[in-house]
Amino acid sequence: MSDKIAVKVDDLTVAYNYKPVLWDIDLEIPEGVLMAIVGPNGAGKSTLIKSILGILKPIAGSVEIFGKPYAKQRQIVAYVPQKGSVDWDFPTTALDVVIMGTYGSLGWIKRPRQKEKKAALEALEKVGMLPFKNRQISQLSGGQQQRIFLARALVQNASIYFMDEPFQGVDATTEIAIINILKELRKAGKTVIVVHHDLQTVPEYFDWVTFLNVKKIATGPVKDIFNDDNLTKTYGINYKVSIQE
Amino acid sequence: MSSAQIEIQLIASLVAIACAIPGTFLVLRKMAMISDAISHSILPGIVIGFFITQDLNSPLLIFLAALTGIITVVLVEYIQKTGLVKEDTAIGLVFPILFSIGVIMIAKNANDVHLDVDAVLLGELAFAPFDRMLVYGVDVGPKSLWIIGTILLITVALLIAFFKELKVSTFDAGLAASLGFSPAIIHYGLMAVSSVTTVGAFDAVGAILVVALMISPAATAYLLTNNLKRMLVYAVCFGVISAISGYWLAHFLDASIAGSITTMLGVFFLGVYLFAPNKGIIAVMYREKQQRIEVSLLTFLLHLKNHKEKSERHVNHLNEHINWQKVRSKTVLDLALKNNMIYIDKHIVSLTEKGEGFTSKAITYIITNKDAQIEDMKDDFFLFRG
Repeated sequence: MSDKIAVKVDDLTVAYNYKPVLWDIDLEIPEGVLMAIVGPNGAGKSTLIKSILGILKPIAGSVEIFGKPYAKQRQIVAYVPQKGSVDWDFPTTALDVVIMGTYGSLGWIKRPRQKEKKAALEALEKVGMLPFKNRQISQLSGGQQQRIFLARALVQNASIYFMDEPFQGVDATTEIAIINILKELRKAGKTVIVVHHDLQTVPEYFDWVTFLNVKKIATGPVKDIFNDDNLTKTYGINYKVSIQE
Repeated sequence: MSSAQIEIQLIASLVAIACAIPGTFLVLRKMAMISDAISHSILPGIVIGFFITQDLNSPLLIFLAALTGIITVVLVEYIQKTGLVKEDTAIGLVFPILFSIGVIMIAKNANDVHLDVDAVLLGELAFAPFDRMLVYGVDVGPKSLWIIGTILLITVALLIAFFKELKVSTFDAGLAASLGFSPAIIHYGLMAVSSVTTVGAFDAVGAILVVALMISPAATAYLLTNNLKRMLVYAVCFGVISAISGYWLAHFLDASIAGSITTMLGVFFLGVYLFAPNKGIIAVMYREKQQRIEVSLLTFLLHLKNHKEKSERHVNHLNEHINWQKVRSKTVLDLALKNNMIYIDKHIVSLTEKGEGFTSKAITYIITNKDAQIEDMKDDFFLFRG
């Protein structure tokens, strides 16, 4: 972790049909952390990520990635959407989906060539999916599809990674494989921001955490702020870390 | 074949290609009904354009009609965004109203010209060769051919230039947005191309066939491949084959060309729907039958592995022990024998080495559900192909 701020969110308010889902969020994410965003359903976790990435337009506030607006920093940001957000019956292969990660650096019109294909194969190797490279994506299990999405983000070779529930619907082996890759990314100095559901694993997986429920409840190192007090404030019930969710 | 016949087939084929390309993306984006909406609601645009120019083939008319197409899409999205009605309802609200406005305008003002509701719905492909394109007094072919040819050229150029962008925004709009390929620009670009193609094809084949040419070839191709480029090629082929065979069907039946082409599109879809190698109904039924047999085989092998005592493994008693009918037991026994999974010694069935190994592997798979470990088993065993 360095002193630099990777992501800075100022007074961000986002609304769907005039109903605020995020209210006046101020957030500073230091470079090099592996951060979980936790909060109940409908807390605006995915919305926060999508607004930072410019996929949703906020009604107020601003976002900076290393001091510049997102539009100027696309090249250093990678995004893993929720697995359920795409149609897995789309006629394409695992390798092709990973190559899509290189489209950003190519820009409009230019096509992926050998170099991009090679990078995609390396990313597939890293997530242990090389044997499946020519598999039609609907023929992959949920865990494998998630690994393909992760490989697609890795191929972008970004500085900041945003992931929307990468552990949803994956088996234990894949979960361990994914978290190991995320920890490697952090070791390499990257910043990783993950929307996360399983509170039990937060202290084990992450070193930084943000509690969110429409408003920001708290943000900081897991060891300092991951406590019953903040959990109760976020989830609205008397919460004990030790109790199963 | 007369030159008119060749020209008609050429026009029909070019229309089919021009429709199949945007159609493929509409199908993948689950927006098939939008093409129906566009093809009907461009009518007022065509009528207004015709009043201004008095020429069904003028560029202004095509522009105005395409603009109406875009307005349709915008209106549908606007109504949908209010959250009061769903998308299909919004489509059902918008296009009949626009279409009716066109119908009324024709009835009030264009009674004596070549613009009637029949032609609008079904097109006048048979008359297309009569309207010639003259350059300095020289006949260079039917006007429709030039119009749809130009539209096709533009469509293909756009497809080649923006294939990557179309693909990523169709598959994953969120990723496309985060990479800087505005899904809105690509969406409206596709809508614009669909509208222009519809207008260009409209005069030749009418509002109903345009929809069929956009959706059917793409839907047929979708059943045959898992590769987007191939899907586009197959869709184009199905479109062209249907156009030409439909023309000849009409010729021999002395029936409407548009109707015959649409019929052929349906026939080809039905054929592929039944006989496609992987996704076809027959292939699926065959696979399910195979899987049932293989589950039985595995159950049988597991039984042998679990029981060392001979009484449980006697050929004649297997029926009772696994509670199967004789026929099924026989099929399974034969299958296991054929694959060298078992051997029979004095009416006692035992697992071979191969059978032992296979069964252990299968058990591990069922318990751990680890896909990578059974990759090599997938080729010779249906059960694990997912």
